[in-house]
Amino acid sequence: MKALEIKGLKKSFRSNFLIKKYRILKGIDLDVEKGEIYGFLGPNGAGKTTTIKCVLGLLFPDQGEILIDGKPAAGAGARSRIGFLPENPYFYDYLTARELLFFSASLFNLPAAAVHDRIAALIHQVGLSGHEDLKLRKFSKGMIQRLGLAQALVHDPDLLILDEPFSGLDPIGRKDLRTMILTLREQGKTIFFSSHILQDMEMMVDRVGIILNGSIRRQGRLSELISRSTQYYEVVCAHISEPVLTTIQANFACRDGQYVITLASDADINQVVESIIHNDGRIVSVNPVKMTLEDIFFNEMRDNQ
Amino acid sequence: MIPGRLLAVISLCGLLLAAGMQNRYDSRVDYFAERSAFVSLPSGKALKVLSFGYHNLAADMLFIWAIQFYSTPYLTNRFDFLERVFDTISDISPRYRDPYIIGALIMVYEAGDVAMALRLLEKGSRHNPDEWFFDNDAGYYSYKFLKDVDKAETYYKRAAAKPGAPAFLKRMNAHMVYLSEDPKVAYGMWLDIYNNARDPFEKDMAFNHLYQIRAEIDLAQLKERIALFRERSGRWPTSLAELAGPGAGPFRDLKGNEYIYDAEKGAVTAAKVFQWKRR
Amino acid sequence: MTMSMKGIACNTFRESARNKMFYLLVFFGILFALSSKLISFLTLGDAMKVLKDTGLAAINFFCVLIAVFTGINLVYKEIEKKTIFNILSKPVSRDQFIVGKFLGLALTMLTALAAMAGIFFVFVWIRGGGVDLKIILYFLMLFLELLVIVAISLLFSSFTTPILSFIFTVSLYLIGHVMWTFNEFKAILRVPFWKYFSQGLYYLLPNLDKFNIKNEVVLGTAINPWTTLFSVLYALAYILALLALTILIFRKREFQ
Repeated sequence: MKALEIKGLKKSFRSNFLIKKYRILKGIDLDVEKGEIYGFLGPNGAGKTTTIKCVLGLLFPDQGEILIDGKPAAGAGARSRIGFLPENPYFYDYLTARELLFFSASLFNLPAAAVHDRIAALIHQVGLSGHEDLKLRKFSKGMIQRLGLAQALVHDPDLLILDEPFSGLDPIGRKDLRTMILTLREQGKTIFFSSHILQDMEMMVDRVGIILNGSIRRQGRLSELISRSTQYYEVVCAHISEPVLTTIQANFACRDGQYVITLASDADINQVVESIIHNDGRIVSVNPVKMTLEDIFFNEMRDNQ
Repeated sequence: MIPGRLLAVISLCGLLLAAGMQNRYDSRVDYFAERSAFVSLPSGKALKVLSFGYHNLAADMLFIWAIQFYSTPYLTNRFDFLERVFDTISDISPRYRDPYIIGALIMVYEAGDVAMALRLLEKGSRHNPDEWFFDNDAGYYSYKFLKDVDKAETYYKRAAAKPGAPAFLKRMNAHMVYLSEDPKVAYGMWLDIYNNARDPFEKDMAFNHLYQIRAEIDLAQLKERIALFRERSGRWPTSLAELAGPGAGPFRDLKGNEYIYDAEKGAVTAAKVFQWKRR
Repeated sequence: MTMSMKGIACNTFRESARNKMFYLLVFFGILFALSSKLISFLTLGDAMKVLKDTGLAAINFFCVLIAVFTGINLVYKEIEKKTIFNILSKPVSRDQFIVGKFLGLALTMLTALAAMAGIFFVFVWIRGGGVDLKIILYFLMLFLELLVIVAISLLFSSFTTPILSFIFTVSLYLIGHVMWTFNEFKAILRVPFWKYFSQGLYYLLPNLDKFNIKNEVVLGTAINPWTTLFSVLYALAYILALLALTILIFRKREFQ
């Protein structure tokens, strides 16, 4: 049973009085396994938020099927095990943090007594201790984001859906959030988050889905996507003279007082390394240069054009 | 940049200037002379619709306005629309009792149009079939001012048939009507009603009649004594206090106010033709 | 009533209770009601009647203001500020959301009315007006009328902007108080189409004047228990219809 399955999701919008339709989602197919961190990657306007809203019932799909834990996503009941953090969340500014969390709990039909301890723990966990009785209109953006995560967790959900959770966070905030997400995965939760910040994704995700122009271009384990895309190999060496190096390998560059040899395949590595050592050179490092997620991404975008 | 204190002073001066101008404007304009307001007064039905559910308030406001307007003595010809105004008030709120009674009083004592008053009182009787005093007042005015005994009797008979009507009404035939011309008898009747009044409204009304009758009795007595004084001394007394002696007075009316004496003419009147007790 | 509905209702009430505008309106309502004493000085005759009239009218007016102003923003603001995402992304159905909002607003109106009515009641009692149970019935009827107004403004708030909601709600309020003239229309109209049209409108639009028992309260005329019962049932039926319609419309709404 997958945590989330989307098949053939299509959604278009009609501009106010025009007959013209804007097709935002042209057939999304993706799936999220239980207990993994899934990164939903795409540029602005690709349809990430629209997809998420279709899952949560805030938008109604034109076509397609959405299954949450094997059951249809339509209807309020399907959302009882989901925690959602919207992009740029806004909460009632006349409430305090604590009041908001109790209110959120009530929306999950959890009485105050049952969640009392959990809310106290959550406030501490997201780093808002000491601010729980402050009115939300006094909160900074980072604090709102933390609170947003807390309200998404108040009912101990199985699936977390986060829309651009890292946007607007400073480096400390980003690190904290990363740590929290990783901890949640260890607790057995599934996390689905969208972002356009590739570094954050690269550090955390198990699987990635790249969305462009309303459809999924690539989906798969990050390691697979990347290993399939190793571009070349680098051998970095020093203490060797250029003429000697030229005999070993013509293709090299000079970088920071060291020499970088580029090899197309790993078959030649051993031979090159042996030659350098034989000539009293020093091997600094041997690296496979894989495509970063960024490279994959920009390739897709280029192909799209 | 204008300093804050200066702004405050400017604000205050502006207000004072505005108040002053308003004052000057008021001294030249007579709001009550704007009788044209009554010309464009919508009909009672229309006002009831336009008041969007607040028609009781509309009737109250119109009534209050009318009272102020009709007690402004220097406005001549102010009774041009008298009937129209009170018709409107009673159309908006047919069961509001005060306007019928007070309206009739104004019509009889101030405007001098008894027929108009009778029309209003009959309307009151129509819309409030359980109340006896509209017909009673109509009967009184018919007899006293129109000298129409038969008409009076009709009204009194009608009044007597209403629930809760005082016992004496049943005996009000022509003979009794004549007797009620005797102030002492009338006073006794009204005192009876006053003491057995069912609600403050009836009490007030009875008091009003008592006041009038007492004033009549007192003034008649005072006039006699003034005439006597003049015979003896050859002049009008300078004040009522001069009429000293046994049985002098009464010098005060039922409300406790002194009777008004005009030393030049030797004439004495009551403070007001009618007084409605204020709570 | 589910916990989420209760949560939404309480939160809606809390929003009003923390809103300065709300307190201002309640304050002015009380102020005007008490100043009815001044106006009563001007009349000849039954001053207590004028005092009650003015006071009740003031409370009526301000409560209607509160109902309209809190109602028109109710749903619109949630959508504008996107706080609605936090609610509808949870296991809360659209039906529960609307009903919860309505209940919260009803609670708000009850509080405002109780405050104004309570103070006015004491005021009348002190001034010698006596303890009049009819006034309590008047406030109950007013409360029902306010609930109808709230339901109307909630309906409009769920699909249009506050300005339009305001215009529509106020228009229906005013029309609601002249509906009794429609019966006269019928007599005048000859063409059957217009006859049926006006009859249809008469039943479709809210007839609010039936809740206006000021006459009975102030002039002391009798209150007919049957008409009172029918008025109450009318209010409940009409509110039910409005809420159902609101939910129907709201179910179709998408939130981009």
